Amino acid sequence: MNSSLLFSIATLSYLFAMVLYIGYLAFRKKGIGTTATIVTVFGFLVQTAALLLRWRESYQMDIGRVPLSNLYESLVFFTWSTVMIYLIVEFKYKTKAFGAFVMPVAFLALAFINVAGISSDITPLVPALKSNWLFYHVLISFLGYAAFGVAFAISMVYLLMDMEDRGSATNLYVGLAVIVVLASIGYYMASLGGQMKTAFWMGIGVLILAWFVYLIVAGARNKPRVFLFWSFCVTLAVSLLVAMGIDFVYLVSFQHLAEGESFKKHIFEGTFLNASPAISIISWLVALAFFSFVWSKGMGLKKLLKPYIPAQNLLDDVTYRMIAIGWPLLTAGIITGAVWANSAWGTYWSWDPKETWSLITWFIYAIYLHSRYVRGWKGTQMAVISSVGFLAVIFTYLGVNLVLSGLHSYGGMN
Amino acid sequence: MIREDLLENKKGFIEIIAEKFWKFFSSVKLAVVLLIILATVSIIGTIIQQNESPDKYLREYSQSTVQLFEFLGFFDMYHTWWFVLLLFLFTANLTVCSLDRFPHTWAIITAPLKPIDDNMLKALPFRKEITLQGDVDKAMDRSASALKNHGYSYIESKDAGGVQLLTQKGVYSRFGVYITHVSILLIFIGALIGAFFGFKGFLNLSEGEASKVVYLRNEPMWDQIMDSLGIAKSPVIHDSQEGVPSLPLGYYVRCDNFDVDYYVAPSGMPTGMPSEYHSTLSIFNLDGQKILDKRIRVNGPLTYHDVTFYQASYGTVPDARGKVILNIHKKSDTQSPGETVYVELGGSVFVPSIDRTVKVLGFAPFGMRNPSTGEVQLFKSDNEEYINPAVELEIYNGKKALYQTTILKIDSGRPNMPEDYVISYGGYWGTRFTGLQVTKDPGVWVVYTGFIMLCFGPLIAFFGSHKKLWVRIQSRGSETIVLVAGSANRNRIGFEKVFNKVVAEISG
Repeated sequence: MNSSLLFSIATLSYLFAMVLYIGYLAFRKKGIGTTATIVTVFGFLVQTAALLLRWRESYQMDIGRVPLSNLYESLVFFTWSTVMIYLIVEFKYKTKAFGAFVMPVAFLALAFINVAGISSDITPLVPALKSNWLFYHVLISFLGYAAFGVAFAISMVYLLMDMEDRGSATNLYVGLAVIVVLASIGYYMASLGGQMKTAFWMGIGVLILAWFVYLIVAGARNKPRVFLFWSFCVTLAVSLLVAMGIDFVYLVSFQHLAEGESFKKHIFEGTFLNASPAISIISWLVALAFFSFVWSKGMGLKKLLKPYIPAQNLLDDVTYRMIAIGWPLLTAGIITGAVWANSAWGTYWSWDPKETWSLITWFIYAIYLHSRYVRGWKGTQMAVISSVGFLAVIFTYLGVNLVLSGLHSYGGMN
Repeated sequence: MIREDLLENKKGFIEIIAEKFWKFFSSVKLAVVLLIILATVSIIGTIIQQNESPDKYLREYSQSTVQLFEFLGFFDMYHTWWFVLLLFLFTANLTVCSLDRFPHTWAIITAPLKPIDDNMLKALPFRKEITLQGDVDKAMDRSASALKNHGYSYIESKDAGGVQLLTQKGVYSRFGVYITHVSILLIFIGALIGAFFGFKGFLNLSEGEASKVVYLRNEPMWDQIMDSLGIAKSPVIHDSQEGVPSLPLGYYVRCDNFDVDYYVAPSGMPTGMPSEYHSTLSIFNLDGQKILDKRIRVNGPLTYHDVTFYQASYGTVPDARGKVILNIHKKSDTQSPGETVYVELGGSVFVPSIDRTVKVLGFAPFGMRNPSTGEVQLFKSDNEEYINPAVELEIYNGKKALYQTTILKIDSGRPNMPEDYVISYGGYWGTRFTGLQVTKDPGVWVVYTGFIMLCFGPLIAFFGSHKKLWVRIQSRGSETIVLVAGSANRNRIGFEKVFNKVVAEISG
């Protein structure tokens, strides 16, 4: 009986719970719902035991430390906190409707760990991490992320329920065309070297930001555009996870990875960034097909879910509460990080990518909290801001480590 | 508007501008816009690497791009004038918003509880009318105990129709927003103080080397300004041979020793993974008297006279001759620390306490001993790191060589010590330098105060609620009518629960 085994049991429990919650929404039978909750609680208790056991195991290896200091452990803790917060919300609001949206997040996060082959070895801490602040900084930050994760799931539900009409197919075609054009330009510019690559990413950043700002400002009047955004978020989440799963199979199982080489260097080479143009194009086509599928079936999903989802303003209220919990936690997380940096390096803020992105996330949720005072900004815009905020959380947590470089390489993969 | 006001001589020109300025900056919409701009612009500095050397940039980007980015300030984006201006605008917006709304909030907080008439009571969000049998006194008792049970202390107000009980809780929660905003302002002020009056510097000291200056990356802005205005001479020295500005400390700091500890596997074998980087630093006054010493490590710096020394890096001093530190004590004598000697490679030293001469034949950075055979194997380490130093010794009695042995920093087997003393490895000294980050930040405590307030302010703002309850008691014949009404500025669902409980307790 070791912690890895317990974590696997917890992963499977969440998978089972996810299926049960979806089944509960589809078949509307109380028994299924109750079973779903029981399985979730079981998985949560097993995962708690696993975390404690891992902590103990580290002491047995003479490198006693809290199980919170590398990517594997932090992902595990993130799922644990998300499930805990979800269970609290379920009991407090007496509704099982969100389970079908939150459990997939928990399951996929845990599955990502195993599938991406992130090392589960307990390795000792490098000197810079040997500080009490580490424990508090990571703990608080992840609780904040978990709250934001639940808010994101509820916002996705809200946006779907908020949609009246998916709008004309022109929206979809424009969306697909934009992705195809940008992807092609991206590949071409990347092949031209460093400067073109930076220019491309800057350009993409500008476009994406312009799109987000447009949605936030004009979203309520343009529901079909928001529906497109919703389809995009769902597609993005699923594609990223499936692509990383394929990476694991392609790179690790078929041993295309040289001895000791970092997984991070080859991310998405199984699919979108494959050396073979054919596979790359096929990956994109599959992603685009899935995007179209989500877009066309989305409203049908809404009809299916409608009897089970609580009222709009309750969704909005719970989202606000989650962010009202998450934002102070994120604030405290950033602050503990700054105090730690000051005691280690003499600077409480050095604008490195990870710090800056956590601040960007903080700004976005601050926008959410203030937007209720802006006239005309109601539920739709708030749900969009909440979703954009979580995309920033994902980038802060994973994107910075996997894509950008800096001081914060402890959560990286090599 | 301006023309009309001016024409009517209602307001002076400056007053009008000031009003417009105030109105612009007290807008929450502006706050949202500034947040969006700050978030967006901050991204640029994460995509383009900051503060790299010019040739690194030229390798990534073309000449013209580098020039463009330099002009735009993208290489040190967070310190460019326009980014700092954005931060100023943000802080001004925050300050004006708070100042603008605070008087009104203060009025609400300090407003005494007043009874309100029935019409206003009926307009409150939570209200319930209860009819009780019995007289006013009974109703009073019920109401009083219901309120007390939920932690509300009340005041009574009698009027023509009957009596009103007035109570409120959580008034001070209205400060939450202001505490939050003030804390951000404090952080900003603290950062400014640090930028003006503090410095960031570095100091590389070889083992045994002392310095009375520290080398600066940036000169404190205050000193720069005072100097250029001719008011006060800057203490920073610019024409040092190193080409880097330096600042006299007013004392000497010396590196006594630097070492790296490595993790030991459960088997007893040292691994290549660093467990700790540490230096022992000593402070001397300018006359040469020692004041203190401290062993610093990453996450454990030394602070002296507001200047803090952090363990940041280390390196090898080229062509340095190291000395092996040996510790010798008698096998029978476990109490005393024994004798410590320093020997150069190839050199020898006479040790009086054991009456022997010890010669150091060689030094290797990474050795491991086979626990069963006692044999020592030497390994190559990355960059010649001193993972488990091995020293080969030859022991003489006078001119006669007695035996040779090898000792290791971490010895999982027993070294060959045939006589009645033990020689152990104490260190290899003199070949490395410690890299210290040296900083002074007078504003850090202001920033920390802001931090603490920023942790509590939002909690008070989000989870505190200003709740009010009125209980109006009127007699109507043999019955008493009790009208319970209330309001809460936040967390209304929670307040509703309490309200219903109070009503239930009064109803009986």
